[in-house]
Amino acid sequence: MTAVTDIPAALDLRVIAMLWRREVTAYLSDRTQIFGGVSRTVLWLVILGFGLGATLREIEGYTYSQYILPGVMVLNVLFASMQSAFGLVYDRKHGLLRQVLVSPAPPLSVTLGKLTGGASIAVLQGSIPLLFAPLVGVPLSVPGLLIAWAVMFAMGFALTGVGVLIATRIKGLKGFGSLSNGVIQPLYFLSGSIFPLKGIVGGIGFLDIPQYLRDELRQYGIYAIGGGWVVELPLWLEAIVRANPISYQLDLMRHALLGFHQLPLTTGVVVCVAFPVAALALAQWSLLRLTQD
Amino acid sequence: MIGAAILEASNLGRRFGGREVVSGLSLTLAKGDTVALIGPNGAGKSTTLGMLTTALRPDTGSVHIGGLDARRNPHQARALLGVLFQEPALDDSMTPRETLHLHAALYALPRREVPALIADALDGAGLSEAGDRKIRGFSGGMKRRLELARALMHTPRLLVLDEPTLGLDPQGRLDLWGRIGALRASGMAVLMTTHVLSEADTFDRVGIIDKGRLLALDSPDALKRVHGGSADASLDDVFFALTGKALRDTAQPVRPALVRRRA
Repeated sequence: MTAVTDIPAALDLRVIAMLWRREVTAYLSDRTQIFGGVSRTVLWLVILGFGLGATLREIEGYTYSQYILPGVMVLNVLFASMQSAFGLVYDRKHGLLRQVLVSPAPPLSVTLGKLTGGASIAVLQGSIPLLFAPLVGVPLSVPGLLIAWAVMFAMGFALTGVGVLIATRIKGLKGFGSLSNGVIQPLYFLSGSIFPLKGIVGGIGFLDIPQYLRDELRQYGIYAIGGGWVVELPLWLEAIVRANPISYQLDLMRHALLGFHQLPLTTGVVVCVAFPVAALALAQWSLLRLTQD
Repeated sequence: MIGAAILEASNLGRRFGGREVVSGLSLTLAKGDTVALIGPNGAGKSTTLGMLTTALRPDTGSVHIGGLDARRNPHQARALLGVLFQEPALDDSMTPRETLHLHAALYALPRREVPALIADALDGAGLSEAGDRKIRGFSGGMKRRLELARALMHTPRLLVLDEPTLGLDPQGRLDLWGRIGALRASGMAVLMTTHVLSEADTFDRVGIIDKGRLLALDSPDALKRVHGGSADASLDDVFFALTGKALRDTAQPVRPALVRRRA
């Protein structure tokens, strides 16, 4: 890359604010995205949650709908972030991005405006399932909500950055749809959103596990709150879940909302900081390359 | 020359996927100078504009804008340019006022002056009443006027127009052309690509590009005399004499700044 010697002050809050506002305004005027967030929530949380819940009864003492609530929030964050980045594909061919790229605006501020906008939309979309929390019996607390919003912002910021990287490297709108699905689905299914790493899944017909056995299981890291059988992911699948940064962020969110986690919370905090920083660097690099190559 | 010229491009070259799209192109514009670049489809006009506006990095050669090396100082150089793209570069979900506010932020225009600048820009574009309406309902002519107003809002030293009248109806074209004429009369340097040879004929100089090379660059009259065979020749005669009459069915060149390719 050519050394750029005159990059103006990297952080121009005015540029960041204007680009952030542009993203959020476009989101608020697009009801289809909000509809998508609601319909995904209904499909996963209500239909699948209650449908599967009738059979599974509970996971680690939570109903299936309660268990997957943070996962459905993550799903909405994933879709919202990718959709924000998706806008870039159109934008760079027919929209405003060309004008932005030939302006003297600091590139880092342009990237930050895009990513903070995407992250804010992700928080809004990710909060839709929270409206259903009373329906599935998840009590909400102010600290829990604040942590969940912070985690969703970090996740949305990072995923929008990943989306920007993809969006700047493909040529057509169709390609982005396939690629984003190829990113969203593995990240979602391999994050522990819909199944635990290990634990008790309660099925109809199983007797409750006696307290002394639960205590014993707890010593081995298995939290048996309800009745059912012990499940444990195969090692290869557990390795993939543990390699997925979304797993840690989801786990942090699940801890904040349900008081239950399976991965080290400290790692979750580190991922919430490191993943967005890495994604910002990648997004910045890919946007700069649009004009430098 | 670098210090005096508003734009000085020297020996520009660019390849895409092994194909030479622009080669050895040199061009200089001084204050008040107007140059129209014409050429068949795929000749390299848009790639040339991409390199001249810092949207695309040249493989060879250099571009100086207002004496600034565009490779070493792209951000300062960009502040001296006003650019009108071939296709509208607008966000349809925004209003003209929001669009101009964003532009003011991108160009770091003084906050206190922004409301007046926007009011002037909207007024000049005949969009004062439509300033708070969504752009998605605008006609092509309204969008073009808004884009021109935006390109001029930061008082650039060089206005770059990529086929500015493309897709406009005759009334829209007449209106836009009148605005560009007024800018030229005010002494602003203008660089334009076009397929409308009657538009190019009114510029100080016309450059004819084909197969990535600048075949000729001179005043329309001089081009007609030298390449058209007589002073009565038209610019069309010059164009066909230099580029031939065969159809150009080759693929369009890659639009600069829009698609990243390896050289």
